[in-house]
Amino acid sequence: MTSTPSSSIRLRGLHKTFTSPDPQLGEVHAVAGIDLDIHTGEIVALLGPNGAGKTTTLDMVLGFTTPSAGTIEVFGVDPQTAILDGRIAAVLQTGGLLRDLTVDETVELIASTHPAPRPADEVIERAGLTGVRQQRVQSCSGGEQQRLRFALALLGDPDLLVLDEPTTGMDVQARQEFWAAMRAEAEQGRTIVFATHYLQEAEDFAQRTVLMANGWIVADGPTDEVRRQAARRRVSARVAADRIDAVRTELAALDGVHATVERGRLIVEANDSDDIARRLLGQLGGSDLEIEAASLESAFIQLTRTGDVS
Amino acid sequence: MTTATLNTTYYRLELRRVLRDRVTLFFTAGLPAVLYVVFGASPEYGSEPVGDGNVAMWIMIGMAAYGAVSATTGIGGASAIERMQGWTRQLGLTPLRPSQFVAVKAAVAMTVAAIPIVLVYGIGLLTGAEAPLTVWLASAAVLMFGAMTFALYGLGFGLAFRSEAAVSAASGALVVMSFFGNIFVPLAGWQLTLAKFTPLYGYVALARRALTGGNTLDPDGGDLVPEALLPVLLNVGFWTVVFAAVTIVLVQRGRGRQ
Repeated sequence: MTSTPSSSIRLRGLHKTFTSPDPQLGEVHAVAGIDLDIHTGEIVALLGPNGAGKTTTLDMVLGFTTPSAGTIEVFGVDPQTAILDGRIAAVLQTGGLLRDLTVDETVELIASTHPAPRPADEVIERAGLTGVRQQRVQSCSGGEQQRLRFALALLGDPDLLVLDEPTTGMDVQARQEFWAAMRAEAEQGRTIVFATHYLQEAEDFAQRTVLMANGWIVADGPTDEVRRQAARRRVSARVAADRIDAVRTELAALDGVHATVERGRLIVEANDSDDIARRLLGQLGGSDLEIEAASLESAFIQLTRTGDVS
Repeated sequence: MTTATLNTTYYRLELRRVLRDRVTLFFTAGLPAVLYVVFGASPEYGSEPVGDGNVAMWIMIGMAAYGAVSATTGIGGASAIERMQGWTRQLGLTPLRPSQFVAVKAAVAMTVAAIPIVLVYGIGLLTGAEAPLTVWLASAAVLMFGAMTFALYGLGFGLAFRSEAAVSAASGALVVMSFFGNIFVPLAGWQLTLAKFTPLYGYVALARRALTGGNTLDPDGGDLVPEALLPVLLNVGFWTVVFAAVTIVLVQRGRGRQ
């Protein structure tokens, strides 16, 4: 199997199994078999709750972790080779900086590892660090440290940028500035893959979203479509005890609907909550109706359980 | 490929970090210098002869040894802390090869070991330490290269206990190891017998060998008694292998955990 020239990342049958320190848990399948192609120039969000396998997947793409099974190609070669060629860069989630170096010194050090680095001035300006060049890393704010990691990632002029929860710990303004800088990078034709558990971040920035849960890809497509699947609502109502099972069965038969009975109330999760509400209050004879947004986590679980994958 | 050449930018920045840390610098270079002045240069016994030189020279080599291993232990320990803080991951995202990283750290450890050696030897030269030039050069060379073993010791200690306090403890333990390594005062009897198995004994015995001409100082008689070279070399070899093996095991365990 050879990659097409336009493929940046190509994952096939990717598995990663850890042995848990807790003997009762035994083996943990962090990544349980995924196939994924990311094409050059795409901006892709890897969306999922904590423990979905996002970080483990990205760690394998970056060559930090070796897969238990399956193959990874980055620009047609293995991750280590792609990194030595300076084609991949990443913004690490936390840490990864020497606290006693200044911003300038950190940039100079990482630049020295690249055969033909981008000019330090340009990268520092692009990351918005001009005002803190002489400052020690330890006295930089969380947002400044994150922008420094971003500056370091740009030094090698990479074709693929991998970002793992890049805006963790940033305030709203820092977050907006960060994504503005990232958009400018994307316009130069870089492929960008980022992990996030904020649906909003995927919506604002990614053309394509890959939804992960429990080590699987549960949805993959244009962000709008994935959002519609993930943005489920939870409708609950009281239904007469003698009819509740019949109503549950009727609603559960609808497409993409999950219905359960909890403490005498009927709980229904669905994309089209208006339709469910109308049915419940109308011919189905429900009362005391409540509608709330289902958490992203419950949407993920739901998608995994029903196999409702686009 | 730049594998063969040293990354001089990284080396220069690492040295700058060491020189900025005044407290550590005092304990690795200033303290051994003070110890030498108090115990080697000032007392009257300093001018008594030992082999081709005098007692001041014998003490000077010991204090420089203590400074050199403190310095390299600090470099090794700091590397373990850097690894904990994710710096190794950051470097893993660059084209820098692991062998290049090790080369930079080794060059830094060598340079840092040289700081207390040059300082203590300089003071010794001005305050009455005496020996032929070859003894000065040979002992300094052994001290510098031999100190590398203790970079592994600091690294291993830091990797095993994963905290900055552990790295400080590793440096503190050097004081005890130095006493039982025959570094500070000449040991006798059962203490000397025990000393021959401790990590610093072989290192400093090898460095003093040029001075003592293949003998060791017997403090009871104040004379030199012959000492075979093989056990001294075995001591150095054994501890180098132990520290290296422990470090390799811990690095691999750390990788599995990531």
